[in-house]
Amino acid sequence: MAQLTKRGLIAAVVCSDSFMKLGTAQAKVFGVPDLPLLKIQHPLGGLNMDKVRARAAVAVPQLLKVVKEQQS
Amino acid sequence: MSSLTTMLKAPGAMLEVDDDPEAVYEFFCSKGWSDGLPVIPPTPERVERMLAYCDRNFDQPVVKIPPRFGAATPIRVAANAVMAGCKPEYFPLVLLALEAMAEEPYNLYGTQATTHPCTPLLIFNGPIAAEVGINAGHNVMGNFFRANAAIGRAVRLALVNIGAAIPGTGDMATAGTPAKFTFCVAENEAASPWEPLHVERGFPQEASTVTVIAAESPHNVNDHESISAEGILTMTAGTMTITGSNNAYYAGQPCVAFGPEHAQTIAGDGMSKADVKQWLFEHATMPMGRFSKEGIERRFRRKLADQYANASLDAAVRMFAKPEDLIVIVTGGAGKHSAYIPTFGNTRSVTRALKREDGELVTSIEELKRG
Repeated sequence: MAQLTKRGLIAAVVCSDSFMKLGTAQAKVFGVPDLPLLKIQHPLGGLNMDKVRARAAVAVPQLLKVVKEQQS
Repeated sequence: MSSLTTMLKAPGAMLEVDDDPEAVYEFFCSKGWSDGLPVIPPTPERVERMLAYCDRNFDQPVVKIPPRFGAATPIRVAANAVMAGCKPEYFPLVLLALEAMAEEPYNLYGTQATTHPCTPLLIFNGPIAAEVGINAGHNVMGNFFRANAAIGRAVRLALVNIGAAIPGTGDMATAGTPAKFTFCVAENEAASPWEPLHVERGFPQEASTVTVIAAESPHNVNDHESISAEGILTMTAGTMTITGSNNAYYAGQPCVAFGPEHAQTIAGDGMSKADVKQWLFEHATMPMGRFSKEGIERRFRRKLADQYANASLDAAVRMFAKPEDLIVIVTGGAGKHSAYIPTFGNTRSVTRALKREDGELVTSIEELKRG
């Protein structure tokens, strides 16, 4: 995602709340400190499809906001 | 030594702490620079002494350690080696281990940040292991021996302090492993009936090497009853086949560390190391039906569909993809015990030889002594 961002594409990372510190730190390490992190509830693994859809429902509006902001 | 002097003049490079062991301990823990145990304060004098066997530029990065990709210069690594309790003659082995782990196949980034409980197992071969006192006998994976404790600990401190493998931030291990304090052994080459690991991997007998493995803690193989190769290997295969292991999903290169007595019994029946690997490849398997229904459906049927999409529940699940992937060493003292060491899976072990700047093998640690 850092490479995509550096190439001018709109990019974001879905990140569960337990991994936000790691995501934030790694965005800085890879030179894209403003890389959008789409925060969802942990965990993402080991979920049934209903719970996966619930996570997506939280992430998608954040993604749309990122896209709109970066297109404007 | 000018680079050390220059570096110590940099703003923030020097800190003052009360000259009291408890104050030092409190300070390092408060900064998150310890592994939770007391450390030796890395004063300029001690760091300088630690570099007595270092033939590199003190301030040039040897490797960069993820996830921070911090520059592991000899000075920084030496500070961690002092803290860990290393003797100066251990230091080239600490650097060597870090260099091996930085090679791409090891996947240092993944092994540092994963939720899996892996940590570098350092296996030393060759004459320098004995020269500096790395234990290969009784309690080889346990406590007591300074070189094993301090070399492994220095590597771990470097991973945390330079690489930022900080629990919950850069090291996301769910529970971790006690092997994260240190996990450092030498192969007991004198007691092994087989060629040592470094020779098996193409290095000369006189080379001194480290092999790094992204390992879990060892699991014991107790077998006081078997008096045949097949018997001991049957018990070993039984210990290796565990559903919760990453090696069941990602293959990789797990390790069997035979105790010398088990190894002698196996070799006494005419089996070479290659024979052992082949035997365990064929027998260290379990039926897919031993996994949970969800595991079978989500992991085997979908993610490993090329092998298991339509397989029966009796289909064999292997712990490694091909016989030569299994790492076999002989280490430890007397007794009817061996150890099985699962790994992170998505990693390859790396073996690296200790060499001088001119590229020649180091045959004695004294060759590296400065001045």
